[in-house]
Amino acid sequence: MSIRHSILALLRREPMHGYQLRAAFEASTGGTWPLNIGQIYTTLGRLERDGFVRPLPETESGQRPYLLTTAGESELVAWFDTPVERAGRPRDEMAIKLALALTTPKVDIPAVIQRQRTATMRVLQEYTRVKPAAECPEELPWLLVLDALLFQAEAEIRWLDHCEARLARHPVQHPAPPSGSTAPAPATVASVKRS
Amino acid sequence: MTLLDLIDVHRTHGAGETAVHALRGVCLAVDPGELVAVMGPSGSGKSTLLNLAGGLDSPTSGQVVVEGQVLAGLPRRRLAALRRRRIGYVFQNLNLLPSLTAVENVALPLELDGVGVRGARRLALASLDTVGLTDQAARFPDELSGGQQQRVAIARALVGDRRLVLTDEPTGALDSETGEAVLRVLRTRIDAGAGGILVTHEARHAAWADRVVFLRDGAVVDASGPLPTADQLLGAS
Repeated sequence: MSIRHSILALLRREPMHGYQLRAAFEASTGGTWPLNIGQIYTTLGRLERDGFVRPLPETESGQRPYLLTTAGESELVAWFDTPVERAGRPRDEMAIKLALALTTPKVDIPAVIQRQRTATMRVLQEYTRVKPAAECPEELPWLLVLDALLFQAEAEIRWLDHCEARLARHPVQHPAPPSGSTAPAPATVASVKRS
Repeated sequence: MTLLDLIDVHRTHGAGETAVHALRGVCLAVDPGELVAVMGPSGSGKSTLLNLAGGLDSPTSGQVVVEGQVLAGLPRRRLAALRRRRIGYVFQNLNLLPSLTAVENVALPLELDGVGVRGARRLALASLDTVGLTDQAARFPDELSGGQQQRVAIARALVGDRRLVLTDEPTGALDSETGEAVLRVLRTRIDAGAGGILVTHEARHAAWADRVVFLRDGAVVDASGPLPTADQLLGAS
């Protein structure tokens, strides 16, 4: 998540100090990704160093608002103009877990898939439950964030369904263990095949 | 009272080595105010479960109980009457009769059941109101959008004092936002005291249910209920 660019986007509305930025960010994203105030001031410091924001005089309450500079405006425009790269995202632990389950003895693969499916389904139910009853304009940014989370969870469940179907067609035979070691029972995905 | 109770239900087609075990020992209860989603791959037994719950098929063993009545014990005529009076259905398509208006479609099951035309119309309008379609009552199905047609189907399924609705991919032919609006209407009716089963292969639709039951090879392999609080997932919202 780009805190840098989120701050630049919020400052395009009007100059804001750190606490205002935090409140505005969380109002837009429904508090899905809470920010701590330290992160915000550290980022503001870097943005100032790079010339993207400029500090204004302190307010009477001792807060210092920041203003978006012309360079900051260009940086923000470039951000909105550039698609987010998928390649740079964190590793998918579930995909790694499943790939290793196929080559690791004594792993009940259908159970691994079903446990994940149930857990992700539960998450999907919770996201659906917190959807606002009525769609008013103020809720729209938060609804879009919620939809993103919903579709991502749904995608994982579809992927798990797909894996299960693929494994049913190609039962897994684990490689034989080295001679001398205790031979585990060969794991199969027979239980997901239609009898 | 529990609206629907499947107790150790088995359904086998054929016999001997070629027998197909469509359902194997399924237990499932639906209470008022509860929507239960049933998910599973093709051939897992979803449709068989729905047919048994609606009295359209009989179990090989086990019991199907609708509002306290064991279906297997009912004479054919009383079973048909119970299906008409107590159970509503919403399918992906072929829901509405094209030659009848929305309100006539909703009133039809009541009229078939002997309710007078005027009384049936009054109840049908009340049911259309609960799905937000009062102003479309006089329109024919082909004058309604896909989402409106499914809302009419929900109104018909739960017209009068019918409280159990069985649905099979009710949003299948709709785009995602219209489908969501239909599920929202279904959810509202369920929250008002109805109960139902939602058969679907779409996880995002199943998520509208209170519980999600996963079927594999005719057996329930797992069930998912919601977490106690949404805050665990959504930070400080």
